[in-house]
Amino acid sequence: MWIYDKKLQYPVKIKNPNATYAKIIISQLGGPDGELAASMRYLHQRYSMPYGQVVGTLTDIGTEELAHLEIIAAILYQLTKGLSIDEIKRSGYDTTFVDHTLGLYPASAAGVPFDMKYVGIKGDPIADLNEDLAAEQKARVTYDNILRLVDDPDVRDPIKYLRQREIVHYQRFGDALRIVQDNLDSRNFYAFNPSIDN
Amino acid sequence: MNERNRLLNKIMAEDFAVYEAVLYLDTHPGDADALGYYTEHRDNVVQLREEYSRKFGPLTIYDVEGNGSWSWINEPFPWEREGNC
Repeated sequence: MWIYDKKLQYPVKIKNPNATYAKIIISQLGGPDGELAASMRYLHQRYSMPYGQVVGTLTDIGTEELAHLEIIAAILYQLTKGLSIDEIKRSGYDTTFVDHTLGLYPASAAGVPFDMKYVGIKGDPIADLNEDLAAEQKARVTYDNILRLVDDPDVRDPIKYLRQREIVHYQRFGDALRIVQDNLDSRNFYAFNPSIDN
Repeated sequence: MNERNRLLNKIMAEDFAVYEAVLYLDTHPGDADALGYYTEHRDNVVQLREEYSRKFGPLTIYDVEGNGSWSWINEPFPWEREGNC
């Protein structure tokens, strides 16, 4: 089970609200490579993972992704707090506001609601860990793109932290894939699936 | 039931008592009786968790002993039959 820790993993202190930024950063809440997809992917892949090191990695990275979901939410909250209706209209955030007011609804920047179709859970350690390696790189690219689009250092700082964590996760999933392969038939990694074959 | 399972069972019961009190206190923050109920069971949880992790391994990432190897990844995991009491 989980217990809530009443603090962020990394501080978010944004002086100037800016709904134009919120409109793009929301993709890391509910978009295809966002933090909700990441946490759901890892926390549900772990049940069919055969090795303790890899189950532990999925549990702990999946848990960290929930903390990242909260950091993104904190960024969106501070970017949209105290805006006038005129600012909301000018920024284009009115298309979100009309359905959700200032509630944080997980969706992509293009307005597509969060979908588990973004997440692969194949029940095969090689397939799932390659999915995870790709997912971390895709999230890293999304953060790179956000950094291209956002000038405010108050927003860039936590985004840079999250981008760096994608790279660390990529390294750990690489370790996990090596651990899986060390347990397989070295002449044919696909000779059996350790999740279901004995 | 072996000692590990007996202790785990007690922790789960005490944790549940705490959580039930938490939900009630969220909407009744001034209820002194409920606050007393919370502190009594919270104190039990702290003591039982300390005993469990010392004898049988970590329940959270803060419980791992600094000697030996990283026991956090040891099986069974909580969703396995053997991980339950």
